[in-house]
Amino acid sequence: MTAFWFAALAVLLAGPAPAALARARWAWRVPRAALVLWQSVALAAVLATLGAGLSSLTLLFTEQPGLPFLARHGFAQTTLIGLGTAFVAVVTVRFWAVAALVAVRTRRRRRHHREMVDLLHRRDAAGAVDRALLGEAGARVLRVLTGPARVAYCVPGVGGNRVVISDAVLRELSPEEVGAVLAHEQAHLRARHDLVLEAFTVLHAAFPRVVSSRAALDTVRLLVEMLADDAARRRTGALPLARALVQLASAPGQGAGGPGELRVGADAVTRVRRLAEDRCGPQERRAPHRGLAAAAYAAAAGVLGVPTLAIAVPWISSSWRALAG
Amino acid sequence: MALGELERDVMDRLWGAGRPLTVREVHEQLAAHRKIAYTTVMTVLDRLAKKAVVRQEREGRAFRYSPVASREQMVADLMLDALGGVEAVDTRQAALVHFVGGVSPAEAAALREALDALSHPTAGGETTPA
Repeated sequence: MTAFWFAALAVLLAGPAPAALARARWAWRVPRAALVLWQSVALAAVLATLGAGLSSLTLLFTEQPGLPFLARHGFAQTTLIGLGTAFVAVVTVRFWAVAALVAVRTRRRRRHHREMVDLLHRRDAAGAVDRALLGEAGARVLRVLTGPARVAYCVPGVGGNRVVISDAVLRELSPEEVGAVLAHEQAHLRARHDLVLEAFTVLHAAFPRVVSSRAALDTVRLLVEMLADDAARRRTGALPLARALVQLASAPGQGAGGPGELRVGADAVTRVRRLAEDRCGPQERRAPHRGLAAAAYAAAAGVLGVPTLAIAVPWISSSWRALAG
Repeated sequence: MALGELERDVMDRLWGAGRPLTVREVHEQLAAHRKIAYTTVMTVLDRLAKKAVVRQEREGRAFRYSPVASREQMVADLMLDALGGVEAVDTRQAALVHFVGGVSPAEAAALREALDALSHPTAGGETTPA
């Protein structure tokens, strides 16, 4: 019965729960709390999946000892135990194998970028960047590339943070807009958002497509961007940030056929709209947001806590009694 | 002087030379502006070779060093990897965190074009990698 409850919970947490969370607009108002809830749902889903497999193994302890294995458990139970073992083994091995693969490939790509941006950095081009806004630490990690494309990204890593920006961005954006971009990237680095993204990348890659971890990954990425947007907005205001978003997300003019229409990524549109909405009436927002955040944190605790108390604890204690008695 | 800056300086000399340089030649160029040990230059060139950004070839008893690609090509390569080189969902995507995602196919194509233009007329300037 325990296995059934765990399996039902796993299905619920892997399917409908992320789907509903991915649609939740309230999450945009409290991105930090929403991210905590996402992580808690993901962790609970993995634990429930493992619990479903593991709980079938406790059947081993529940029957009278002394008989041969098959006779003791019967055919159905033996099959269940075998399947449970195989399931847990496959899920565990696959999860850790994918985690290792992602970690290795992610760090290799980062090392490559770190080495190359250090080598190709144009010190003279970096002179135009506002030092006051960057600060000492910001100036140390800034790398400017001179090339054909407009890029703005960060390379995270302990002791090896880099903020990379191309001279095209420096030319096309105003100093405040550049400041907003840099503040945004520095927020990513400070808060180690890359770790959250890496975890959800692993979840997405480790579990089959039927499990909706793609929506999870996309939504978590958007929430992480919103968090960094909030940090940037506190430093430079919403307007330069929104302008920078629109300029960097839109495609440049398309060849000779006149200026191409403004094409902006879906996430960028969402983020710009959110910045525009939040600009009015900061006073009236405060109270409901705090309540919303508290509710999200409570839900995060509940998602992990309730199944632990309701399913895992009775299961473990009964297994323990069976094993001891 | 920071190692990174020294590496950039050495690369600039190699790019500017237009032909493979020996450690001694690089050292002579650098020593004209600052105090620097011969062994330091050797170490830097060795590090650059390990990073696979310079090619090392033996000539008699000396080694000669040349960049594996032009500066412009290296930048274009790196930008391509940062922008469009990785699929939307990939095990390496968490490596970099972009200011705004979803570069248009047009921009990725323009970048690839720029890269092609850079990488094709290599007949005159650089030797092809061994």
